[in-house]
Amino acid sequence: MMSPILILIIFCIFTGLVQLLAGRKWASYIGLASSVIGLLYFLFLLTDLDLQAGLMYPLEFKWIPGLEVSFSLGMDSQNLLLLLLVFLIMPVGQIASITGSEQKSTAYYCLMSLGQAALIGFFSAQNPFTFYLFFELALIPFYLMVLMYGGEYRRRAVFKFFMYTVFGSFLMLAGIIYYYTLLPDGGSNVQWATMNSMPLGIENQYWIFAALLIAFAIKSPLFPFHTWQAELYTQGDRPAIIIIAAVLSKMGLFGFIRFYPLCADAIQNWSYFLIPICIAGILYGAIVAWRQSIMTKILAYSSLSHIGMIAAAIFTGTVVGIQGALFQMFTHGILAASLFYVVDVIIRRTGENNIYGSAGMAKIHPRLAVYFFIIVLASVGLPLTNGFIGEFYMLWGLTEKSIWYGAFAGLSIILGAIYMLRFYQKSMFGDLQTEHEPKWHKLELTEDYVLLVSVILILSFGFFPATWMDLTQQAANHLLTK
Amino acid sequence: MLSMIILTITGVLVLFLGLGKGKNFILPVAGLGVLTAMWSYFHYNPIGDQWMKGMMSMEAIPAAFVGLLLSCTLLIIPFLNRYKLRGPGELGDFAGIILFAVIGGMMMVSHEDLMILFLGIEMLSIAMYILAGSDRRIIQSNEASLKYLIMGSFASAIFLFGVGLYYVATGTFKLVDFKIISPEIFAISIMVIFAGLAFKVSLAPFHFWAPDVYQGSPTLVTAIMATVVKIAGFGALFQFLRHQVMHTGEWYYWLILLVAISSMVIGNVMAFGQRSVKRLLAYSGVVQAGFILVGFLHLKDENSWMIVFYLVAYVLASLVSFVAIYFVESKKGSDDISEFKGLFFQNPFLAIVFTIALLSLGGGPLTAGFMAKLFVLYHAAGLGSPLFVVLALILAVISMYYYFKVINQFFTKEEEATSEWKLDWTYQSVLLLISALTICLGLFPYLLTQWIGA
Repeated sequence: MMSPILILIIFCIFTGLVQLLAGRKWASYIGLASSVIGLLYFLFLLTDLDLQAGLMYPLEFKWIPGLEVSFSLGMDSQNLLLLLLVFLIMPVGQIASITGSEQKSTAYYCLMSLGQAALIGFFSAQNPFTFYLFFELALIPFYLMVLMYGGEYRRRAVFKFFMYTVFGSFLMLAGIIYYYTLLPDGGSNVQWATMNSMPLGIENQYWIFAALLIAFAIKSPLFPFHTWQAELYTQGDRPAIIIIAAVLSKMGLFGFIRFYPLCADAIQNWSYFLIPICIAGILYGAIVAWRQSIMTKILAYSSLSHIGMIAAAIFTGTVVGIQGALFQMFTHGILAASLFYVVDVIIRRTGENNIYGSAGMAKIHPRLAVYFFIIVLASVGLPLTNGFIGEFYMLWGLTEKSIWYGAFAGLSIILGAIYMLRFYQKSMFGDLQTEHEPKWHKLELTEDYVLLVSVILILSFGFFPATWMDLTQQAANHLLTK
Repeated sequence: MLSMIILTITGVLVLFLGLGKGKNFILPVAGLGVLTAMWSYFHYNPIGDQWMKGMMSMEAIPAAFVGLLLSCTLLIIPFLNRYKLRGPGELGDFAGIILFAVIGGMMMVSHEDLMILFLGIEMLSIAMYILAGSDRRIIQSNEASLKYLIMGSFASAIFLFGVGLYYVATGTFKLVDFKIISPEIFAISIMVIFAGLAFKVSLAPFHFWAPDVYQGSPTLVTAIMATVVKIAGFGALFQFLRHQVMHTGEWYYWLILLVAISSMVIGNVMAFGQRSVKRLLAYSGVVQAGFILVGFLHLKDENSWMIVFYLVAYVLASLVSFVAIYFVESKKGSDDISEFKGLFFQNPFLAIVFTIALLSLGGGPLTAGFMAKLFVLYHAAGLGSPLFVVLALILAVISMYYYFKVINQFFTKEEEATSEWKLDWTYQSVLLLISALTICLGLFPYLLTQWIGA
């Protein structure tokens, strides 16, 4: 029987091909339809979810015969939330690319579908090699998308992003090859689930983790490897940036989670300087975001801050920390996509990527202001929104490790409130310039729906986190058992 | 042997066809000749057969190289159609000389005797000297031909010197069943012969001819240089070294490693600032040759599939690249990197196949190039040279930089509107076939590896 995950991947690739043939007018609608069908199919798969079953919908076949490398996909407690994130975010990206004013070429929409296929493959990969393959593969469609459309200096920005990431991923390949050559059977049976049972010597762990650390720190990005981020988020094509900020930024963090059993001792021995660096990144990102007036840069630095927190929580190696990290990866994906979508909606009206450019918008678009406010509150981590639970668990984990970690990381919540509320205040309130009014046309139906759905998601995950926390607890327990 | 005879007859026939009125038949006849040669090679030669009293052999390993050589020629032939546009008789000469070059290549990869190897090298090289200068109205082409001739003759002389030393050391020209009389002279002779062959495949530090000759020659000839000559050269190198490697000492490992690293480093550094895409690909060819040479570390017959796979990936990618450069060059008049600006918006098909080819050259995932790099690096890692693997990977990242510098240009929209242009469907279908093969081998490498005996 075909694995449903493989069906989804093939479906996305097939959509891409159909889009290429369908022509400019239909390609975008086909993409949207296919991403919605993908989401519905995935939700249908979730209905007979069995948390105790272990690996679900597994698929494995021998891939490269000379090297004993196999190709392996599947769904487990660790990647379920992130796969859900991919399926939730793709329609948002598709809608944003349809409502964008500029007419894009068919290849753009095709690339978006291919990108989705690669992301599904990445999150469902079950062994390091498949993981690497999709890690590299997911980069290319988004690279080309940003290359084709976006701001004036996009080429420089995206090229920097590309070279950084490729450098990291080749180091990761070196680490993986080294790992495979260490294994007695040439790595033919490596799976995440069985990685615990094949411990490595500490010396080997150091080497492999060093290579992986650089790769994932660049991809996430973690301080001090973040220099590509703000520039790309500002210059890039916004539909692509929605997906990059929401999903691609989780790839590095997810890598830390996946490789945790392999490098557990190395991470624990190094955590005394890894976590402080992460916390420095959290505070740095928050402070820089505070002083920005470019909207996309605020979001970029706030992402840096949040992602630093998630990485720090993973490095604690505590059950609650990893639980919080897994949940926050999902939450931050939703919030980052929603925030970028709001920024996209604003920029399409004002034409300015500046927080002062849209002053007074709350008076004309009260619904937008309400949606935006709820999203801002969630990203600040207010209780009863989905942002709260993850932050709470992560801080708990950090405090368990050391009270000082908890204290300094906790500062980011205060700083987060400062910069997000400043962002909201300057962009929504203030004096309305009357000549703007006619240009700021009404909220379109699709925009309304997207924002409504994201607000519903934020509140429902905030009110009913229990199921998902059970899931993450199982994942964290599984990750930490020796 | 029969296949070589068939190819020779076809070559002569093609030359005569070019004289008369049968210009339209030249390429079909040439293609048919290559096909027949391929069929007869694999059909009438039981494995282990020997020709000319053991001077040439038909074994599984040379057979893989011969098959690659002939199929690569078959893929080039359709593009020669473009030469019909030029003066009378030229197409016939052109196709005939290419067929003779291929015969030389076949002799090189299946030699069991150094005399045959020398004959093969000369046959291939002289044909290539002529082809390099075939655009005789253009001064760069003349320059390329002259440079290639002088440097190539020098390399042949070095090679012959090595053969002489080999004779002194063993008392025979044969590759197998010999007694080493003087181990020191034997070692020197292997190194000197290696240097002579390294020139043919443009390994650093024997690469100085490559960029000038690649740039000056007509682009389709460059495509032949980057494919047929490389296959023949590496095939000859493999066939020569696999019999000698058990008589060599530890120095063999270091020689190969040194040449491989210097090729990768020098090629990468020099490719960095190139404006001419042909020169850039010439230097990238030096890097790729370095990667192929990694497969020669700890050489065994069982490793041959790795080298063949890498050659297949490289040949497919560089064929597409040079053909794409040829079309852009004949449209715009230059191969400067700025001429590729906005290619995607003018000719999306060409831009996409060229992107796939460059990705494959750079080792992008799900392309044949990725698998090829993976195989050789796995091989190196298994031999216990992790530092070398890391170095090679860093160099691969650097090479990504200049490949993507070209790809960046394709997707950069030009300010003024440019007209779209299309290729003939024959060219399109061949290019599509090659790109599909590149992706297929990246997805399912066992399609090829099971044939070449992994």
